[in-house]
Amino acid sequence: MSLFQNIPYLQESKLPKCKCSKCNKLSKTVVSLSMLATSFCFSQKCDLVLEGKVLDLHDSSPIEAALIEVVDGNEAILSDANGKFVFENQCSGKINLKISHLNCEDIYTSVNLNKSISRMFYLEHHIELLKEVILDESKTKKLSTTAPSYALTDLQKDQYSVRGLAKALEQISGINTISSGNVISKPLIHGMFGSRVGIIYDGIPIENQQWGQDHAPNIDQNAFDEISLIKGAGVLKYSGDTPGGVVVLETKIPKIKDSLYGKTILNGFSNGRGLNIISSWTKSFQSGKYFRVQGTLKRVGDFEAPDYVLSNSGNDENNFSFTLGQNKILSQWKTNFSYFSQEIGILRSAHVGNVYDLVIGIESDIPTIINPLSHQIIFPKQVNRHYTGSIQYSKRRESSGKWNVKYSWQRNNRKEYDIRRGEYKNQSAVDLTLDTHNLTTNYKWGGSIWSFDSGAFLQVQDNYSNPSTGIKRFIPDYIKARFEGYFTTSFSPSNHFNLGFGIRYSHHNNEVKKYYHYNRWRQENYEGSLGGFVIGDFAGQKLIGQRLIFNNLSMSSGVKYVIQPDLNLSLNIFHTERAPDIAEIFSDGLHHSLATIEYGNPFLKTETVQKLVLNFEKVSGKFRFNFSPYLTQGQNYIIIEPNGIEYTIRGAFPVWEYRSVSSLIQGFDLDLSLQLGKNLKLSNNSSWIEGYEKGSRTPLISIPPLSTTSQIQFSPARWKSFVMALSNKYFSRQNQYPNHNFETSVVENGNRVTKLVDISSPPKGYNLLGLEFHFGPYPLFSNKISLSLIFENLLNTSYRDYLNRLRFYADEMGRNIMLQIKIQH
Amino acid sequence: MSKNIIIKPLIAISLFLFIISCSKSDPVPVHEQEAFTLVTLEVTKVGSTETIRYDFEVEGHDHGHDHGHEEEEEEEDDHDDHEGEHTEIELEANSIYNVSILFYNDEDPLKIINITEEIIKEADLHQVFYDITNELSGSGFSIESATNDTSDSSGNPLLLKTIWTTSGEISGDVVGYLFHKPTSKTGTTRSDFGGAIDIEIEFEVHVE
Repeated sequence: MSLFQNIPYLQESKLPKCKCSKCNKLSKTVVSLSMLATSFCFSQKCDLVLEGKVLDLHDSSPIEAALIEVVDGNEAILSDANGKFVFENQCSGKINLKISHLNCEDIYTSVNLNKSISRMFYLEHHIELLKEVILDESKTKKLSTTAPSYALTDLQKDQYSVRGLAKALEQISGINTISSGNVISKPLIHGMFGSRVGIIYDGIPIENQQWGQDHAPNIDQNAFDEISLIKGAGVLKYSGDTPGGVVVLETKIPKIKDSLYGKTILNGFSNGRGLNIISSWTKSFQSGKYFRVQGTLKRVGDFEAPDYVLSNSGNDENNFSFTLGQNKILSQWKTNFSYFSQEIGILRSAHVGNVYDLVIGIESDIPTIINPLSHQIIFPKQVNRHYTGSIQYSKRRESSGKWNVKYSWQRNNRKEYDIRRGEYKNQSAVDLTLDTHNLTTNYKWGGSIWSFDSGAFLQVQDNYSNPSTGIKRFIPDYIKARFEGYFTTSFSPSNHFNLGFGIRYSHHNNEVKKYYHYNRWRQENYEGSLGGFVIGDFAGQKLIGQRLIFNNLSMSSGVKYVIQPDLNLSLNIFHTERAPDIAEIFSDGLHHSLATIEYGNPFLKTETVQKLVLNFEKVSGKFRFNFSPYLTQGQNYIIIEPNGIEYTIRGAFPVWEYRSVSSLIQGFDLDLSLQLGKNLKLSNNSSWIEGYEKGSRTPLISIPPLSTTSQIQFSPARWKSFVMALSNKYFSRQNQYPNHNFETSVVENGNRVTKLVDISSPPKGYNLLGLEFHFGPYPLFSNKISLSLIFENLLNTSYRDYLNRLRFYADEMGRNIMLQIKIQH
Repeated sequence: MSKNIIIKPLIAISLFLFIISCSKSDPVPVHEQEAFTLVTLEVTKVGSTETIRYDFEVEGHDHGHDHGHEEEEEEEDDHDDHEGEHTEIELEANSIYNVSILFYNDEDPLKIINITEEIIKEADLHQVFYDITNELSGSGFSIESATNDTSDSSGNPLLLKTIWTTSGEISGDVVGYLFHKPTSKTGTTRSDFGGAIDIEIEFEVHVE
């Protein structure tokens, strides 16, 4: 599994550093040495011939330039282009050999040479330069052999090192960000987000996505070397319930040699007056042992829109991770611990009392509360902590099979602080803790034509909602047990043709304990449907204990065909079944940011989605393109929508309830690039998408508008190590949206007036200009240093983003100037 | 052999996980003691000893117990009228009334919390405001701070205790607000105050 995690994709910027010709091609090359005594000889004679061949374990291809030394002797020889070597005139007896290969771990072995023998030896090529590996070969190690995967280059990844995972991924076409304010954001892939998008870090699915839209993935992307994604459920190895896509974050396994290396990134930025430092260090040893530490510190004050301060929009982060492991010839182990801690201010003006306040917020062009710029985070705010511990072991068996087992634990804790009164003033309003234990095991086998991967996944999850908040639980307490099993296979008869198939079964068993207030119970007539589950009755509330079982089967299949050496065509079909989240079934509470009461729907069923993605790609030459249309249809597709208004002594509140519909989502992503001479590159990425409820043709909510990003990249020949880029992002207005506007009657200046609560109309389209200068890397003592100067929203444009839930209250961020210093140690 | 070494702990771990997971106890009920569940207007005509109480109750509140208050308002399932609750307060013409507004949490009927005391304690963070429709104010109906009202540290009366003055016969709507963290303590309409609405009660005043 660890191998899978360390595969970068499409990292074209990196050139092979490896000097031995074969290691470029082979991911985990295992050098096999076969030895043959070619003639029968008398033992006492010194005329024996030792002939051997160095081969790759995976595909039996010969390995050139492996050094074979006779220990205690003076002989040394290199294997030839066919991997062969010959020692002549050897005496009978024990011969000690040392076999080494650049970037490979040395192997010591001995041969008793007294007659003709034939023996196999296994060596593990050191896992290095996986990038090249992926580009050329290793069909078995890609996220998918048939579905295209998209990776962030180091430059793209580092450039967004302060902005969070979703913003970094947004650079890939078809990926948008759905957010609540400036910091809380999640990736939206082809119109889907949350639990429909899997985020896999180090082989572990992140688990706090099920808490609803206000919950961003608690992850520091800077702790990982590679970030890649598949737009679709292409990675059944990790998850079967993510029709939107799968984001995979991975760390590289260090070289087997004594070394100490690291990377430090320092970011300073004007908007938010923020500072961010990221540093990671790896120490590896000849024995294969290594350890790695990584940390991130971030301090950001209030962001600024072009015309005002976005009061209380700052955020702080402290993250730390530690890894200890060992790579050996036939086995690997690794333990990891990581801690993520984040405090996010929620826009002060977005905390409203009821619908009248919401109306005032919507009607006002500027936020109703603007305070002087500050680095202090006040209420309302969110505090997130995320802990992960994992232990992993893998072992290679036979010639190509590899078995892997991993246990991981993660704890997600999230506290939401509202503006409260009296003794509850400093008490969080939401305090959720989710503990998840995962046990996964898998076995991979096969050769260059057929390859297989099969595994099992066991999960136990415990969600605890702290009652001392003094506010009824938004998400009830529950225990979830999950058992899943998968099988994937790939058939690659030639370099021009790939066929892939996968299947994943999952069994969910949720035990939920939830309080219903009498009023809701009566209003929804739950006595008839849920009455049998009542296990307690307390002043005004009924406690139900319900066991919910889901059995789901997801499948994916795809074909990839190379029409011409530079033209690929692939077609992938995914069928996914997703059990509804506990939040979708049982959520119950008030969102102060939208003055909305949210209710789950206890009768939701498994959501099924079919997605078809076609990909037509030209991968080399001056002009390149990637055209990818897709079609998604869903049954029991779960959405949340306004459904009436509740009146209380606190005023009126719109009620949002989950329901399921039949849906249809279609769109395309188009990436174009044109290299003009050596210095100039033009590129454009565009995405179009639309989503409807089938039948009524009502548009789905939160579907991104048409967007197109154009970039001119210039790297003058005279100045090495300098790149500048000018880019323009255009987002149109979303004209297809469900209209959930409603009217409310209020008294204003003594007159009764009817106000339209316009919570639906999308904001107008906008252009964002960006300018980047990248210098380096330059040598600095024994390090390498790079500098970047980045201007975001260069023209200081005021705009609002349809996919930001707090768009009613304030503009997005204005101009930002960021200086980034990157040192590679 | 190596399989056994691995598989046995796996079985053990999974059993362990299931055992700990199955022993989860029932969650305790949460009573939102901080939330307003009841607002009462106590109306006393000057010169009279009779006090009439008008209760405004939160929706989603249990009505299954007897809390000893007068039930003046209509039941909560009043969805055709989008003002929800509709309380009528009967007043005599050309009269003066002392009116107190009181805030309670009565979710637990055995432990009714008077939140008014907390509002007095945090006087700077709160403000009551009555928005009177023009037909009422045009006829001479007014609401002013009473002498025994609470003031905040800047001397602004909170309007917890008010004097209502009536003149001619008229009917009209009044909206009573409690603002939390208002940006201004004075104003003539809701948007002048800023802050967030904690309470919004609406009633009809009948001056006869």
